[in-house]
Amino acid sequence: MIPDRVAEVLSGPAIMLAGTRDAALRGAHTTVVGAIVHDDRRTVTFFVPESRAARLLSDLRDNGRVAFGFGSLSHEAYQLKGTYLSSRPTTDADLAQQEAYRTKLVAAFRQVYPEEIARPLALGYAYHPAVAVTFRVDEVFLQTPGPGAGTRMA
Amino acid sequence: MGADHSDTQPLREQIAQNQHTIDRLNRELARRSNEVRIIQQISQEITSTLDLDEVLGIVLLAMERVLGFAHSMILLTDASAERLRLAASRGYEPSGVGAEVAFGDGVIGVVASRRKMMRVGNLGASVAYLRGVRARLEAAGQMTGGGESAVLPGLRDAQSQLALPLLVKDRLVGVLVVESARPTAFDELDEILLGIVGNQAATAIDNARTYRMVESLSRLKRFFSPQLAEAIVTGGADDPLKTHRREVTVVFLDLRGFTAFAGSADPEEVMGVLREYHAEMGKLILEHEGTLERFTGDGMMIFFNDPVQVDDPAERAVRMAVAMRDQVTTLIGRWRKRGHDLGLGVGIAQGYATIGAIGFEGRWDYGAIGNVTNLAARLCGEAQPGQILLSARVASEVEALVETEDMGALTLKGFARSIPAFNLLRLK
Amino acid sequence: MATLPEEIKAAMQGVIPSHVVTCARDGTPNATAISQVYWVDPEHVALSHQFFNKTVRNVRENPRALAWLINPQTFDAWDLEIEFDHAETSGPIFDALDMQIEAIASLVGLKGVFKLKSADIYRVISVTKNVAERIPLPDIVEPGGER
Repeated sequence: MIPDRVAEVLSGPAIMLAGTRDAALRGAHTTVVGAIVHDDRRTVTFFVPESRAARLLSDLRDNGRVAFGFGSLSHEAYQLKGTYLSSRPTTDADLAQQEAYRTKLVAAFRQVYPEEIARPLALGYAYHPAVAVTFRVDEVFLQTPGPGAGTRMA
Repeated sequence: MGADHSDTQPLREQIAQNQHTIDRLNRELARRSNEVRIIQQISQEITSTLDLDEVLGIVLLAMERVLGFAHSMILLTDASAERLRLAASRGYEPSGVGAEVAFGDGVIGVVASRRKMMRVGNLGASVAYLRGVRARLEAAGQMTGGGESAVLPGLRDAQSQLALPLLVKDRLVGVLVVESARPTAFDELDEILLGIVGNQAATAIDNARTYRMVESLSRLKRFFSPQLAEAIVTGGADDPLKTHRREVTVVFLDLRGFTAFAGSADPEEVMGVLREYHAEMGKLILEHEGTLERFTGDGMMIFFNDPVQVDDPAERAVRMAVAMRDQVTTLIGRWRKRGHDLGLGVGIAQGYATIGAIGFEGRWDYGAIGNVTNLAARLCGEAQPGQILLSARVASEVEALVETEDMGALTLKGFARSIPAFNLLRLK
Repeated sequence: MATLPEEIKAAMQGVIPSHVVTCARDGTPNATAISQVYWVDPEHVALSHQFFNKTVRNVRENPRALAWLINPQTFDAWDLEIEFDHAETSGPIFDALDMQIEAIASLVGLKGVFKLKSADIYRVISVTKNVAERIPLPDIVEPGGER
């Protein structure tokens, strides 16, 4: 389902965001601090800070719809849309994952931002406690700005 | 992070907000008193001089010392009013003076074309984003409409820019720019302060520029027709005083019998004759748009095709020479009645000359040097009163226009071979 | 309706991309990053519309959206609930955005190619500030093992 290149960009470093909506179709945004593509190439787990998870989880329990956007620092971007499966607290293994991810991220930020932005910005990308949210991917879209943005890829 | 003081949290937040507001207002107040001081300081200095370089220097110094902007520049519109040229800068190495910016290119060019102030604080991010879009368009084969990336003067790694159009009434004089390598370096208050300085600067720069033009104009009018002088000053023609080579048609003329006349007649009479002669000749030179390079009493050298290029330099030269001969004939009649025996001799040649400023500081002249000027002078020297001698080249150029008689090959001083010459009889 | 505080302006200069979440009428959310959210007045913001996309399509059928912004100096983040009001294709806001786009486009050789279609004006419904949290985590491990 998820093409190789998309999985590659998702493994980082990339900026990520999760979009959900409530029963009245009002959108909500949650910062995402890391993600994993599962071997089945059909499910994705992403991490959100526990302090920010309330609205996200409420929306997911209401309707299960999730839009997951992410992009590399060079603006190569994709969007996964899908259906909520489950959530759980993050483990030490997850945290190790986040830290490894954050190390890659600070290096990438340094390419495009001055140090006074790069480091503090990357610092915020590992949270504990956090919630791991898993969803099934139903659609994959190209989101890179320019021609073809919005095209469905899978 | 845990909040056990949930009841006092909103109150504490409110206090923090208030403090934030108070701090901000204090900063604004301090800056506003500064503004008054700035206006006084700058307006005094700016209005005390009409020298353009001084005015620009004062404005840029104020940018740094008073407003704290480390990198600033002023670009002025050129005559075409489609481009700007960097006239002065501060905080750049090299200065970049002379660099051109087309209207519509970059923040500077868009401020010029739209005549509105503009502030950006994220150049790096914006440019990187659009570069990506361009790459995608190129990959998709959709880049037919785009073109070259504009190259502008300024910091290589500029992140923030604040540019102000310098306007006098609704005429664009130029653009004032400040830059920084830090993102979001400028805010709304900076816009206000720059605007105040900019308005003062616009008028002062415009006045200084006008003054400079008027000065140049009167200087150039010594050598060129008023239209030409104006074209040079407003930038329509190239700077003629810069040394260059060009093919020109050269006309040399002088009054035969003048030396004897000047030796024997009253000085007042001599001046009177010269004045009449110069007035009439001058009128004809202007009419035919020739360039008077020099005159020495009765002798004059005029050439065509510089500083303004024309299609028909030889034809103009010949028409002017014929008109001059006719005019002088009338004058000669008048002078003869007063007992003076004078006649006009003319020599015309065509060829390459090196042209530019000759002289020294305080006394520059516009001069042309080359074989062509010598040839024209020698032909003039050989001409009998009433004769207009053309070189072979000129004669062939104007063949369809004039009737000539072949004078054979003349031996002229300074020329190894004898030179064929043709006497111009009349226009056909 | 809510009003934007002065301090949010620092997060509206396009230094770090903002995020926008919209929702189609069929209930499918859309999550995307944009370069800048523009200040119009204390009760309105603008988003620039260059290419027709899902965000543009969604708000025209379901006007509620969420914009997330971050201050590049303090790293405070803002959640703005906004509601699409109307699109402008002329006027001072359009001109200001258009100027900016024209200037940057010329720097990368996209003059005339990358153009502003409209300035989409949104009303501000609510403003929530998330003060940057200082996470009591081990610091970033740099290559070479330095912290």
